[in-house]
Amino acid sequence: MIAVRNLSVTYRSSEREKRAVLGVDLAVERGRMVALAGESGSGKSTVLMAIPGLLPATAATSGEILLDGRDLLTCSEAELNAVRWRRIALVPQGAMNSFTPVLTVGRHVEEELEVHLGLSKREARERIPALFALAGLDGGLAARYPHELSGGQKQRSAIALALACNPEYLLCDEPTTALDVVTQRDIVVTLRRLVDEQGVGMLLVSHDLPLAASVADRLCIMKDGRLVEEGEPRTIVDHPANPHTRALVGALRELEEAP
Amino acid sequence: MTTILQVRDLTVTFPGRRGGTPVTALQSLSLSLEAGESLSVIGESGSGKTTLLRSILGHVPPTGGAVRLFGADLASASKGELTALRRRCAAISQDPYGSLPPTLTVLESVMEPWLLVHGEEERAEGEERALGLLAELGMADGDLLRSKVRFSLSGGQRQRAAIARALVLEPELLLCDEPTSMQDASTRGDILRILQKRQGRGMSMLFVTHDLFLARRAAPRGIVLHRGRIVEESATAELLASPKDAYTKALVAALPRLGRA
Repeated sequence: MIAVRNLSVTYRSSEREKRAVLGVDLAVERGRMVALAGESGSGKSTVLMAIPGLLPATAATSGEILLDGRDLLTCSEAELNAVRWRRIALVPQGAMNSFTPVLTVGRHVEEELEVHLGLSKREARERIPALFALAGLDGGLAARYPHELSGGQKQRSAIALALACNPEYLLCDEPTTALDVVTQRDIVVTLRRLVDEQGVGMLLVSHDLPLAASVADRLCIMKDGRLVEEGEPRTIVDHPANPHTRALVGALRELEEAP
Repeated sequence: MTTILQVRDLTVTFPGRRGGTPVTALQSLSLSLEAGESLSVIGESGSGKTTLLRSILGHVPPTGGAVRLFGADLASASKGELTALRRRCAAISQDPYGSLPPTLTVLESVMEPWLLVHGEEERAEGEERALGLLAELGMADGDLLRSKVRFSLSGGQRQRAAIARALVLEPELLLCDEPTSMQDASTRGDILRILQKRQGRGMSMLFVTHDLFLARRAAPRGIVLHRGRIVEESATAELLASPKDAYTKALVAALPRLGRA
């Protein structure tokens, strides 16, 4: 289990301090999906990036991030590198646009297998079709360059990349943003399948509350760095307790149920 | 009623890359818009929506068919006439990062179209209008307005500044391509209300989106664009409630929604 306890993060620059996250508690278990929703600037991505220790150097962090009881916040870079990809993998925000244009998408995945698992080129290549299939992609697409793929295919390639080392946990930051609605739905179905069939523990960060609520087992709403509501998605959506959640749900319902 | 936009049998074909097969972006597309009327264009990437908006402003020559804007045939309009026609329209691009001059301040970038048309002597009025629009869009912080676009604005703020910039000349026709894609739910509602206020004063609008809920909110009538063709045309409420075409059905089914227990 990943247990985030009383996490606070402050970004410091020479002129100012910004408290991005304030006392957040959160647990991600294997085979379950937790969604972190909220408006832009609410601190969702900061929480997600704090878990594998990938916040910028300007971020001061306090609290605990326990991976099966071991606090990742006190781990060295070397210790964190042993956890990253192999135990906790990441689909970062804008992943589909972060591939190196001169390598095929398959080569990206092979490289990760070689570096992190010490596989030979050939062993790495043999794993590609199965990994791409898990991400809902035809293995033949591995030979394509990023510019030859659609946004959805690139996003799936990023998911294949994250799955390469068979991680226990997957952290996905806005994995459906900037994709068409049909593609969004397909990607979410793939993510849900990874949780149900592979037992992956997933943290999904999304500003899209209807989407997050429709797919997650547990929903957390953030506002101004704090976790303002947490619970079973249907309950939150139908009976939001926090004023901010109520406003958010109200604005969405207004659009959804317009006469 | 005055017809301000008439697109008839518009076909746009782009030559294939490196001698490949030509790409047909729009296929025999027809639509019309009366003064004060709005239309939602529902389309995903590759549907031809961007080509449609560009064709309406005469930026893409048609392979077949014609576009009449404010009664004038774009194909036979002179360069000067085209400029005059375009000046009565405004466009909001789907990419707010490419639609504001990065070296200007936020306020300057919103005022710029006004100054280009009305000149320096009317700067005071332009500034007043720009400030009013920005305030309406929730951007009233003086420090923010006087800082450079490239240093200070988030995607959502850029998008709102781009909307203000598009409205500063009070266009008769507003063409918008996913203008609220980077907004939070509450801000999105505010923006739609702002656009609706202008529509109430006679502005016409083409509102491009892949979100059918937004499409319904933005305009009473809508067309669904798929691979360059209109596959369905109806009241937007109808498109959502009882889609007929297979593609529209898929769009409706995929829409994330809160629903009711």
